[in-house]
Parts: sequence; structure tokens; C-alpha cells
Amino acid sequence: MLRASSPLGVVFFPAYDWAISPTHPERQERLLYTQDQLREEGLFDIEGIREYKPDVARVSDVDLAHFCFPDVEQVVTSSHLISAGGAMRAARLVMEHEAKRAFALVRPPGHHAMKVVHGTRGFCTINIEAVMVEYLRERYGVRRIAIVDTDCHHGDGTQDIYWHDPDVLFISIHQDGRTIYPGSGFPYELGGPTAIGTTCNIPLLPGTGDQGILHMLDHVVMPLIERFKPEIIINSAGQDNHFSDPITNMAFSAQGYAELTRRLGAHIAVLEGGYSIQGALPYVNLGICLAMAGMDTSYVSEPSYDPERVRQEQRITDYTLSLADQLLGYFMDPPPMPKHGRLEGEWFVREKEIHYDTDGISERQLEKVFMCGECSGTVVIESRADQGRPCLAVQIPLRACPACREKGHEVFEMGQRSGNYRHAMLVDRPGKDVKRVLI
Amino acid sequence: MLLGIDVGGTHTDAVLVGTGGLRAWAKVKTNHADLMESIREVLGRIVPEAGPDPISRLNLSTTLSTNAIVEGLTEPVGIFVASGPGVDPAAYATGGHYRVIPGATDHRGRVTAPLDEAAARDHAKACKAAGVSVYACVGKFSPRNPEFEEALRAVVHPQADFVSCGHEFSGQLGFGRRIHTAAFNASVWRTFNRFADAVQRAALRFGLSGHVNILKADGGTMPLSMSRTFPVESILSGPAASVMGIIAVCDIKRDSVILDIGGTTTDIALFADGAPLIEPEGAVISGRPTLVRALKSRSIGIGGDSAITVLDGHVRVGPRRLGPAMAEGGSHPTLTDALNVLGAASLGDMAASHRGLNELAALNGSDGATLAQDAALAAVTSIRAAVIDLTRAVNDRPVYTIYELLEGKRLTPAQVYVMGGPAKAMQELLAEVFPEDVIVPGSYAVANAIGAALSRPTLSAELFADTQQGRMLIPGLDVEEAVPPSYNLDEARADASGYLRQYLEHLRIADPDAMLEIVESQSFNMVEDDALVGRSIRVKCQIRPGVLPGYRKAVHRLC
Repeated sequence: MLRASSPLGVVFFPAYDWAISPTHPERQERLLYTQDQLREEGLFDIEGIREYKPDVARVSDVDLAHFCFPDVEQVVTSSHLISAGGAMRAARLVMEHEAKRAFALVRPPGHHAMKVVHGTRGFCTINIEAVMVEYLRERYGVRRIAIVDTDCHHGDGTQDIYWHDPDVLFISIHQDGRTIYPGSGFPYELGGPTAIGTTCNIPLLPGTGDQGILHMLDHVVMPLIERFKPEIIINSAGQDNHFSDPITNMAFSAQGYAELTRRLGAHIAVLEGGYSIQGALPYVNLGICLAMAGMDTSYVSEPSYDPERVRQEQRITDYTLSLADQLLGYFMDPPPMPKHGRLEGEWFVREKEIHYDTDGISERQLEKVFMCGECSGTVVIESRADQGRPCLAVQIPLRACPACREKGHEVFEMGQRSGNYRHAMLVDRPGKDVKRVLI
Repeated sequence: MLLGIDVGGTHTDAVLVGTGGLRAWAKVKTNHADLMESIREVLGRIVPEAGPDPISRLNLSTTLSTNAIVEGLTEPVGIFVASGPGVDPAAYATGGHYRVIPGATDHRGRVTAPLDEAAARDHAKACKAAGVSVYACVGKFSPRNPEFEEALRAVVHPQADFVSCGHEFSGQLGFGRRIHTAAFNASVWRTFNRFADAVQRAALRFGLSGHVNILKADGGTMPLSMSRTFPVESILSGPAASVMGIIAVCDIKRDSVILDIGGTTTDIALFADGAPLIEPEGAVISGRPTLVRALKSRSIGIGGDSAITVLDGHVRVGPRRLGPAMAEGGSHPTLTDALNVLGAASLGDMAASHRGLNELAALNGSDGATLAQDAALAAVTSIRAAVIDLTRAVNDRPVYTIYELLEGKRLTPAQVYVMGGPAKAMQELLAEVFPEDVIVPGSYAVANAIGAALSRPTLSAELFADTQQGRMLIPGLDVEEAVPPSYNLDEARADASGYLRQYLEHLRIADPDAMLEIVESQSFNMVEDDALVGRSIRVKCQIRPGVLPGYRKAVHRLC
């Protein structure tokens, strides 16, 4: 009988009673065929692979990852809290040694949800991965974490949340932002001034296949991880780079994905995008599960797989090899300051515009980080969505020095007194304190 | 008059039940080398008690198929599998005549690679040369499209005494389970049919003209005629007869635990809202998962004959059996002996029990009474722990909707029903560790045979419809029909229950009060390029385990 050499926990939650809308790609039957395939293959009869129920995230868990305005209850539904809870359950399985690895095969996804949240964007409302990361930190004291986002779309939400965090290495491999949503994820996006080089973006040409993606993994991603020395590696496992995905243009296969999973060796995988729900997801998910369990994946293949049809063009191969060399050097020795933004006294200031395509919200942000020499610095965000007075968000990071803690509280109190803001929220991680004020 | 026979591991029990209640019962030692001999012996004792009243039904629970598999007394099976992409099909190989035949069907039942019938013919030829005469044909996703299995059956049929097809056992998904089920079924087919022949001869000899049914692992029955084709369904992997006995003699409406304490094991089963819980995936037989429907149960190695051992001052009961209780001539003290010493039981030679406990206690710096108390406490504590584990496993079972996750029912047992030989003796001890009420029915010793006698037929069916392909299937009932694009969930539910009733009639099972219920029903939109192109519909219905109501009132007084 079959046995997993690496015990795997699968937190499977397809949310069969939730959809953005009846014909939206993020709808009830998105994981239906995946479940059929996993059941037919007898995945959970394999010794060492077990299926688990998700936990349900609490508002306080979401607060550690996001500034939700007006508040969590008005922005988030139980579907999002369960999806995030699924990722948390996966983390719990690994940290409490119930499984060696865990896969949160849950929906809705999360990697396009930014630090500040006013609604749903890119099918994502809260970043379920970030909720999990902050849970790992808060409950298990994990410090250094690598997140490798293998979704076809740039993980801009995860990037935004960890932009100023030098203890999170965020690597995103995606289709070039010049050719697909969200239109970001360029190599020069390297993180904030106190975390420069801990964000790495690897844009790929449309039509890149197994060969190109695996080359980038071996020659850029793995060296970066090796240098960073994370305690936990997370695979933000989007599956829309598949050759049959209806809304992207890549040529990745189930075999390629299984191989990537094996080589990356992530402790935890979390499902992100992927909408070829009949032709790709059943086989890609099977491949990921078997690879994470240390099992043979050589028989996993899509019915429509045709090596000739998905073969990578030579020009793409040439481009990828050349790009890999340039990127590795660039990431290993990044410029000292970010490309965008400016120094204003003790603060580094950046302005951003964010569009919530799913909910039709436009947001303008003024973000600043305190240029402290001792820690990563307190972060202050002014966010204005559509109309009215802005919201104020203050984040005192986990390893903040006393001066930055004081600075954070000072900014928060002055903001309240100024009368300039509609909502204000303070997250003091070292003080384990969350304050929310309606002004 | 109903006759129930339960062939257990230690004893074979028989009961006669009439509308006036329990008429008679008999108990004999089980002859493991010849189960049929035990059946004949117990029939010889019980049938005369019926007098002039006709016996309209004989329900028989037997471990014949289980024993044959566990002891390896089965026949080689020629196995043909059409697997397609996925898990390496070599992982499921069993026996020496297993062959993967190229061909693939996907999760929607679409053929994605044609079946290589030439390879199938080659394998059939090799099996014939090896003297194989029973076969199993299994395809991946065959419940979604049984075409390949039918084609494989056609290839081997001319040379086969018997062929099992995977889709006939269940519409439930699980390729590995389907292979094991079909292979086990073929491997015991001949042995079981010889047994069925013997049962029919015995029934004739004893003048029994009524229906003969075989008890299944899910607590229901199937006609002997059906068991000839599906012998694997007779495998009893849990305390099915005991659970049905509890249903018969007690009025269970709340979440409950059933403990059946035998000679070497305690079998644990659970009730939710008055109905026994079914194992959602299927029974595990000889370490291999199958699709055989079975009651959810746990067996732990604690029974009346379990040996008492002391290691580093720690008292344990079981799981080893080192012979019968000292009170019954054994040489090592058992739980039964401890119960004798405590005064909870007075079985056999009481002095021998006292002597045994005193001697073992003396070797470990203690006295017989204390050791007996510690042993009994160890036994009931282990049982309690196993109940907690099983209840937790049920409550932790994965669910797939927000509603079920946030609002779903949690099993919270309120009562513990105990049966089996030591039940009465252990009632007070169990009550000390279980916060729930501990109830021992008056007929605790033969409730299992009463359960066998009163058990009703069970059946289940899984309907799958894909309206884009215009197809509806109920594989276990051999139904495959074209459906219009407008086919919907309400029609599917009506079809599933309608065809199940029709199948009952086809089997000549007269049970107008059968408790038919729809267990699951779901309809999913199928969308392509933002347009609705069809629905994927799944309906699961069953006739759930129960007992004949007319007779139940009579035996109910026993609780």
C-alpha cells in the first residue's frame, strides 16, 4: 500500500456555498473537480496523508495582518475568515508536528489583498497567507519566513504587507506585469528602505513553460532562500500559470508544478489563483499533494497535455537564461534605496494609487516609514478611498526599538487630535495592542 | 416468527422472535473450522421451539467471508484495471494476476484515451493459461462512465466463472477502494456460494420455507440470492448485529454510544439522533480500504478473556488473550476473573479466580482485591478513552460548506448502551468513568442475535448527472439515461429515490415501510466563458439500517 515519506496534512475547504457571483471565476464549483480527482485517486487512503477541517480566523488574527476600514466586520465575511483559518490550521499542523508539511487547499484566495483593505481586489479581500504568517509569529515565535509566490499574477498584496519587513523574504514569479494584471512586480520593486532586497520580483514572458520556471527556481529563487535562511518556507501556490488557464498566458504543466513543489521544499502551501478548474486544477493539486508527501508524481498528467503544444520557444528560453543571470546579481547586491519615493526629514515617503477592481474602489495612499537606524521603523499610512476624510493606520513592527514605539503612539495620538482623519487604527506588535478609533 | 443467527468469534447465538416477543434463544460455541456446523447445531436447538408457528425469515450474520480473507483461504483473481493518469496504479496491485490496461476516463466521465482491448485480451489469455477463473474489472472514474468496465467484462466473460465490475459496488469515488472491493468479491465468490448452497440445504432440512437473508456490515440485510453475486458485502467489519440489537430492544433517540463487550474485544459504535453512524468512506478489510458500507466503529482489545498483566507496577488488561478465564479452566487471570473477585460477576469456578488474582498480586507486592480493582479500572478507562477518540474523530470530520462548518451538528453522546456477556457485570464500573447514563438492556447477552433477526434490508445509491453531456447515471443500480439540458436537482432527487425503490421491488424485497432518505444532494453550475453550460448534480440516497416495527414493540419491553 501507498505510504507518504513526508507526512502531509491537507486542509481542504472548497466553500461550496460561497461565490463572488454565479458565473464569476471564483465560484462554488472551482474546487469540485479537484475534490473528485483527489477522492478517486484515494489521496486520503495513503498512509501519512490526512484531511483536516479549517480553523476559523478571528478578527484579532486579521488585525495583525491588515488595516481594515471601516472595520473587519464590515469588510470581511465568514468565507474569508474560514479561508484564512484554513491557512492557520495548515501552520498549526506543521508547528505542532502533526504533519511534516501542510497544504491549505482553500478558497477564497488572498494574495492581492493589500495592507490597507477597503474591500475586495483581484478576487481577494484579506491576505490569508499574511494572516497565517502573523499567526506563526504571534503564537509560535517564528521570525524569518520566506514566501515564494508561484501564482501567475504578481502577489502585489503580499508584497505590500511585507514591503517594510526585513524578516520576510517575498519572492514572486509571475507573468510580466506589462502583459497581465495587476501590472506590477518589476525587478526594481525591492522593498522599502529598511527592508531593501527582501522583496524580489521575477517577471516572465508569456509562453514560459516548465523549463523556464524551473530554471528561475534553481538559479534565482533557491540561492536567495539559501542566503536568507528562513525558518519556514511558504509556497503561495497559484495554479493559473497552467497552459490551459482561461485568463493567463503561461505554459506550465502539472508535471512542472509537481517538480517545482518538490524542489522548493516548502513547509506550507496555500492555494491562490487558478481557474482552469476541469483541465488543470485536479491534476496540479494532485501533483502538489503527492510531491509534498514525498511521493512519485511521474504518472500525474493532464488529459490535454501535449509536449509539442507546450514546448517553450527558443527565444523565451534564451531570454529566461539571460534574465536569470541579471536578476540574481541584482537581488544579491541591490541598490541602497527604493526607486520610488523620497526622503522627508526622518521619514521616507511614498505615494500610491490602488484600484479595487472587484469592488470598484479607488484608493490613494501616502505611506511613510521612520528611518530608524536600530529597527525596521514605524510605518504610517494615510489612506483615502473615493471621498471624505482619510483613514490613519500606524504599525509598530514586531522588533521595534523603544524610540519607534514611542514615535508610533505619538503619531497616533496627534492624528486623533488633529481631526484630519475619519478612522484611525494603531497596531503595536511588541505591546500586543490594537487600538481602533472612529473620529 | 423471525429467526436470527449471529455467528460471533466465540459463540453462535440464535433467537426466535414473534409478535409476542422473544420466544426462545440458544447459544453454542463457534466452530471456527466449520462455521456451517455451528449454524446447524444452533438450528437444531432453536427450530423445534417454534412449534407450529411458521418461520417467515432467517437472517444470518456470518464471518465466513472475513475469515476467508484474513486467513488467506481465497482464490486467485485476474484483475484488469484501466487507470489513466494519476497515482501509479502499481500501488494497488494485489495477487499475481494484476494488469494495467491502457485507457483513461476523466472526472466528468469523458474518455480521454481509448481502452486497449488487445492488451486486455493478452492478459485474459495469460490468466486462462494460469488457471484463473474469477475476475475483477475496474476503471478509474467508472461510476462516471462504466464503459471500460463493461468492455473488459466482455473480454473475460467467455472464460470466467465469475466477473466483478467495480462500478456495481458503489457510485462513490475511490479507485483503489474499487479495486480492492472488486478483487475481494471475486476472491471469495466460490467459497461463499458453497456456503450459501449449504445454508439452503440446511434451511430445507429444518423445514424453513421463508426468506433467507445475510446481514451486512452496515447493519442491514440483503437476500441470499443477492449475496451470491456480492459476497464481499457480507463482511462484518464492525458490530453490526449488536448495533441492530440495541435498536431493536431500546428506543434510541439521542446521541449514544454502543459498547459490545465480547471475549477478546470491545466494539464501539455511535448513534447520532437515533441512527447509527456509517463509515463515510467504507470498511477496511485486511488492511485494504474498500467501498463496502459499514457502521462506523472501533474495536479495542479488551474483553472478558483478556489477560491481566502487570509491568513495573502498571496494570493492563489485554490486548492479549492467554486462554480462557481461570474460572473456566484457564491458567492466566483475565478480566472475567477480576470481575468474579470484585463480586460483580459469579462465573464458573470462583475459587480459581481468587487464587489466580492472589498469585499474580503476590508476585507484584499487592493483594488480589486491589489488583482486581486496578484491572477493572484499567479496562473501563481504556474503553472510555477509545470512545472519546472516536467521538472526536467524528466531530473533526471535514465538511465543505460554510454553513456546515459554522452551524453543523456536533455529536454529544448522552447515553451508553452496553451488551455482550460481561455487560451486566461491568455496568457499575463503566458508570464510574462515563458521565453519560450507562444502560444495559435486559437481553444484553443475545441482543446481537435479536438484532440479526429484526434487521431490515439496506441499500444505497449515488446518482451523478452531467447535463452538458446529457447523461444521468446510478451505477450501483445499473441505470444510465439521457437527460435534457433542463434536468435539475429536484428531478434528480426524485429519480434517485424512485430507482432505489424500483430496485427493492426487483429484488422481491417487500418492505413498504423502508426508511428511504436522501443523504446528500448538490447541484453545481458549470460555467465556460462566463456562460452557464450545464449542471453537475450529485445525489446520494439510502435505505438506512432499522428493525421491523411490528416485532420491535414486542422486544422493546426488554430494555
